[in-house]
Amino acid sequence: MIPLKYNVRNLRVRWKTTLMTILGTALLVASSCILFGLVEGLEYSLKVSGDPLDLIVLRKGSSNETTGGFETSKADQLLTLPGIQRDPSGAPLAAKELLNIANGERANGTRNNLIIRGVQPASRDLRPDFKIVAGRDFVEGRGECIVSKIVSRRYKGGQIGGLLYFGDKEQYRVVGIFTAGGSAAESEVWADLRDVEKNTGRDGSVSCVQIRAASLPDYEKLQKTINDDTQFKLEAKSEKAYFEDQSRMGLFLKAAGTLIAVLLTFGAMFAAANTMFAAVSSRTREIGTLRALGFPQSDILISFLGESFLLCALGGALGLLATLPLNLLTIETFNFGSFASISISFRFGWTVAAVAMIMTVAMGLFGGMFPALRAVRLEVIAALREL
Amino acid sequence: MEAKGYSFMRQTSSIVLRSVYKEYRRDEFVIPVLADLDLEVAEGEYLALMGPSGSGKTTLLNLVAGLDRSTKGEVTVHGQVLGHLSEAEVTRWRANNVGFIFQTYNLIPVLTAFENVELPLLLTSLSRRKRREHVMTALRIVGLEKREHHYPRQLSGGQEQRVAIARAIVTDPYLLVADEPTGDLDRTTAGEILDLLELLNREFQKTIVMVTHDPLAAARASRVLHLDKGRLVDEVIQETRVSIAS
Repeated sequence: MIPLKYNVRNLRVRWKTTLMTILGTALLVASSCILFGLVEGLEYSLKVSGDPLDLIVLRKGSSNETTGGFETSKADQLLTLPGIQRDPSGAPLAAKELLNIANGERANGTRNNLIIRGVQPASRDLRPDFKIVAGRDFVEGRGECIVSKIVSRRYKGGQIGGLLYFGDKEQYRVVGIFTAGGSAAESEVWADLRDVEKNTGRDGSVSCVQIRAASLPDYEKLQKTINDDTQFKLEAKSEKAYFEDQSRMGLFLKAAGTLIAVLLTFGAMFAAANTMFAAVSSRTREIGTLRALGFPQSDILISFLGESFLLCALGGALGLLATLPLNLLTIETFNFGSFASISISFRFGWTVAAVAMIMTVAMGLFGGMFPALRAVRLEVIAALREL
Repeated sequence: MEAKGYSFMRQTSSIVLRSVYKEYRRDEFVIPVLADLDLEVAEGEYLALMGPSGSGKTTLLNLVAGLDRSTKGEVTVHGQVLGHLSEAEVTRWRANNVGFIFQTYNLIPVLTAFENVELPLLLTSLSRRKRREHVMTALRIVGLEKREHHYPRQLSGGQEQRVAIARAIVTDPYLLVADEPTGDLDRTTAGEILDLLELLNREFQKTIVMVTHDPLAAARASRVLHLDKGRLVDEVIQETRVSIAS
């Protein structure tokens, strides 16, 4: 077997070409990883939003809580249905919620749609890891609100004590900042249900009702009762399924990301192949010498494939390292489902690692394959004559 | 000096070529290089091949070393008919039986003298410790044991060729093939390299086949064959070889 140091030192000798290829590869791997990291972040935020015992009740035919609403009277009836989980005080773990999409002003002066969610006390328990991390919770009926960390940072008046102004009729005083386990709620502003009803003039209607069933049989029973009741004309969806539906944007991003990653990988394969072809050409006589000394063709193939792989692995590792600081990155994008902004945090997970690994292996192996085969097919005598 | 190789050649032939014909094809052209060549080289003989460019001497060397195959005829080296071996088998055969010395040394520039000499041993099952022993022995024979950590660029031409000779002998092959081994060296250094080859032939009984244009180099061999247009045109058995200069 040809020693690995032969390849390592050759890469070092051609350090300029090696560095350029590594940087190119790193750039491609990093850009794909960022894309997939954001897709994974989006999927995660929507996935953690759904509890397996949670139901979300919407108007029949409505696919999104922002696009349909129904009467409060119906919502009140839902809260009395048997099978709903109770909190320690005996109150049902269910909440009426009213959503309003308001056009908020960002700190940088641009405007964007924000979800203002009118909530009830149980809403907090229905979100994973809901926590007030600064300030306090709002007091009902006083025009106060709490905002997620991201909203607090990005929107004018989003800091504690600030005023979120969406017009003369709709404004809320920020009294606290919350986190919700990275779920979709972290892109929202929460206020008292009655304040939102009053400010938006939508008194007597709700956007949805969130319910947590006491058990799995209760969950199925509740869903059946609500869906089969012709008076209600409502649909109880599994919260999980609802958020999966919402993550269709993620699917689009994923498809686009995959396409881009494949194209980038092809590009990088050519770059790696180019470098390796140059390596084979400049070392033709060495290859001839190694063959004359008795190294079999398979050893030459492995050696050059290994060199190409090493080159791309260095690039892949560098690309992956470059994405690590992005773990703190959060971007705000438009959710076509709700017509409001959604914040996505970059997530360095298995998908990102797998993307980097697949790209690296593909670039290293396929980029190195043709040059390595060329090296193997060289006639020993002709190779020895090369200058 | 007695041409001792030639005297026992017929009893113990190391290399036997029978009606060897070799041609190359370049597009529609057929270029004959060797024509019905018969040759025997005795074990331990030092043979020099001379002739003008294109006379077929390097082709003959390549056939004997298992780097090329004859179009017709049979090449037998140490009892092995090379034409019967597959590509992989002949590669393995080369590793075990032939040491190569090239005009331009053909050392791997990114490996040290030690690592270059060690290369052929990587194809064996020897332990690292054993490999080190063998490499140091070979470097000692060529007088470069103190240069083991030097890269080729840090050595003179003559030293590079010595490293190449150490690499050729490190597996203790019974055949050494040398293609213009002094072609790139000045007269004094060339003399030292030829001394070394002669030493390997005399003291270590290596069979050597050397291609050369240099009459002084050929004068060191026990037999000189002259080729022209693919045929043997002259054969000189050297009763007195030029003795080791040093």
